[in-house]
Amino acid sequence: MKFVKKSVSDEIPTSSMADIAFLLIIYFMVTTTFAATRGLDFALPEEDDQPPVVEKEEAVLIQIQPGGDLLVDNKPMLITDVLDYLKPKLERNPKKPVIIRPDQAAPYGAMVRVYDELRRGAKRGVEVKNISIPTQREIDRFWY
Amino acid sequence: MRVAATRTSPAVIPTASMADIAFLLIIFFMVTFTIEVDKTQVTLPRTVLRDEIPKKAAYVSITNSGLIKVSDGEQMSAPVPNTDDVLSFAAEVIGRDPTKEFVLKADENVRYEHVDAVIDALKQARVKVIYLLSAQATE
Repeated sequence: MKFVKKSVSDEIPTSSMADIAFLLIIYFMVTTTFAATRGLDFALPEEDDQPPVVEKEEAVLIQIQPGGDLLVDNKPMLITDVLDYLKPKLERNPKKPVIIRPDQAAPYGAMVRVYDELRRGAKRGVEVKNISIPTQREIDRFWY
Repeated sequence: MRVAATRTSPAVIPTASMADIAFLLIIFFMVTFTIEVDKTQVTLPRTVLRDEIPKKAAYVSITNSGLIKVSDGEQMSAPVPNTDDVLSFAAEVIGRDPTKEFVLKADENVRYEHVDAVIDALKQARVKVIYLLSAQATE
């Protein structure tokens, strides 16, 4: 009986590699989302039934109107002028609290813009160290 | 005058480097691939300052209409009926990990009262840091 020895190729078949590679590429391209992964950090104060008493007249109050306009210490002001207004006050008292109080009907974006502007003050030599955004419940409980 | 015979070059696209390019693309997409736990469509407010948000942070998203969704950073976000549920959700997450960061992903046009209620719930749950998710603004 005659045996025929089949010669086996010692190469790895790579003809389908390109298909597999492109399938993987298409999978990752379709499922990849470039999500926004950055934002402004906002440290929340410890919940306390007896908050430290701050004299109301010591703080600068920034009110955000329903349309997004600002009232700083009850005076209408553009957002670009807020740091100039705060500068002399913070030079006298670097720890001067600044309270942001948005109206319940104001857009959230207006609050973020004001907070961003205050945080950016440090680069312009007006560092606002004490920014507070009280919630309505805190205002009802502690505002006087 | 003798005209030289035109040489016919074979019409072949060189594919020798195709595998390299393909694998570079695969590696790029594998490295940048992240599972987005919250796919709520919102128009983010724009800020100039933007800090990197820690991975695995919990999410609270608020749409323009006031719909609230929550995610603990591991599972996909799910809607909650009201802010009391945000408080119980946040308290549970903080109970497991007291240092857990929260991300507030809210539409820039949503009424502040919705955001106020969520921030209040997070404060009551003793969340220490929240990140206000934003898009890049130019100075």
